[in-house]
Amino acid sequence: MSDFVEECRREWKRLGVPDPIANEMAIDLTADIEEAEAEGGSAEDVLGNSLFDPRRFAAAWASARGVTAPLASVDAIAPFERDRHPWFRPALVIVVAVFGFLTVLAAAALLVGRRGVSMAASIHRIVVLPGSGRLPGPGALLPPFHSFVSGPSFSFQNGAPFIGLLLVALLGGIALLGLAILYRSSLPQRPSRRRLR
Amino acid sequence: MATLDGRRSQLLRGVLDLCLLAVIDEGPAYGYEMTKRLRARGMSIVGEGSIYPLLGRLERDGLVETRREASNGGPPRKYYSLSADGKRSLDGGVEEWKTARDAIDRALDLVKVEATP
Repeated sequence: MSDFVEECRREWKRLGVPDPIANEMAIDLTADIEEAEAEGGSAEDVLGNSLFDPRRFAAAWASARGVTAPLASVDAIAPFERDRHPWFRPALVIVVAVFGFLTVLAAAALLVGRRGVSMAASIHRIVVLPGSGRLPGPGALLPPFHSFVSGPSFSFQNGAPFIGLLLVALLGGIALLGLAILYRSSLPQRPSRRRLR
Repeated sequence: MATLDGRRSQLLRGVLDLCLLAVIDEGPAYGYEMTKRLRARGMSIVGEGSIYPLLGRLERDGLVETRREASNGGPPRKYYSLSADGKRSLDGGVEEWKTARDAIDRALDLVKVEATP
C-alpha cells in the first residue's frame, strides 16, 4: 500500500470512519493507483493535485460519503481549534484561572502591603479574614506557610515590592510557558507537503 | 481578474459532476476508468483534484448505484452505474448546460479576439 493510502487510512481512523468503509476506500484507491502505474502513469493521474494533500483528500472523500461531519463545518473551524486534543480546553481554563487567582492575590497583597504589613499578613487578611477589619499577625498562619512567607524579608517595606513584582512576573512566565507547552502538545504531527507516492 | 487556469478550473468544477454522470452513462465504470474516459475527451483532472469525493457525493445522493465485480487478477473493483435519479439529473443538467452555454456564447460572440503571437 502506498504512502498516500497509508496517510489516508490514518486520517480516516482519526476521523472515526468505520473500518469496513475505510478498507473499501483504501482498496479502491490502491487498485486504481496500481493500474495507473502499470500503464506507465503515476498516482497523479488518478488523484490530480490531491496527491499533495492526503489528509484533506481523505477528509473530503469521507465527508462526501456521509461517514463524517460535512467538510465545510470542519474547515470553518480554525486549524488551532480543529487539531487540539479534547482535554486542551479544560486544561487551559484551569491554567488561566490559577494564574488569574495568583495574580489578583499578589496584586492585592502588594496594595495592602503598602501600609506596612507583611506579605503573609496581607494574604491572610485577603483570603482568610475578608471583611473582618482585624489585622492578624503572621503568627496566625499555619506552618509551613507561616515560616515560608512571614519572615521580615517579605515585608513590603524598604523596597520589598520588587519581590512581589518578581513573583507576579514569575507566575506569569510559568503560566505562559504552560500555555505554550499545552498548545504545542495539542497539535498532531502534520505530514509534510513532500510528494507522496 | 481570474487567471485563465483559474477560470478553467472553476468552470470544470461546476460541471464535473455532470461530466461524471455522462461518462458513467456510457457504461458502468470504476474510478480510474472514469478518469481515463474523461481524459479521452480532453478533460484532464491533473490540477483539478480527484473524482473520488465527487463519486462519494453522487452515491450518497442516490444518483449512482454501485456493485463490486472481479477484475483481471486484481481485487474486486467498485463499478458505478447510473440510477434512475442519476439519469434524470444528467438529462436535466445537459439541458441546463446547453441553455447557459448558448447564452454565454451570444454574449461572447460579439468579442473580437485578437490572435496572440
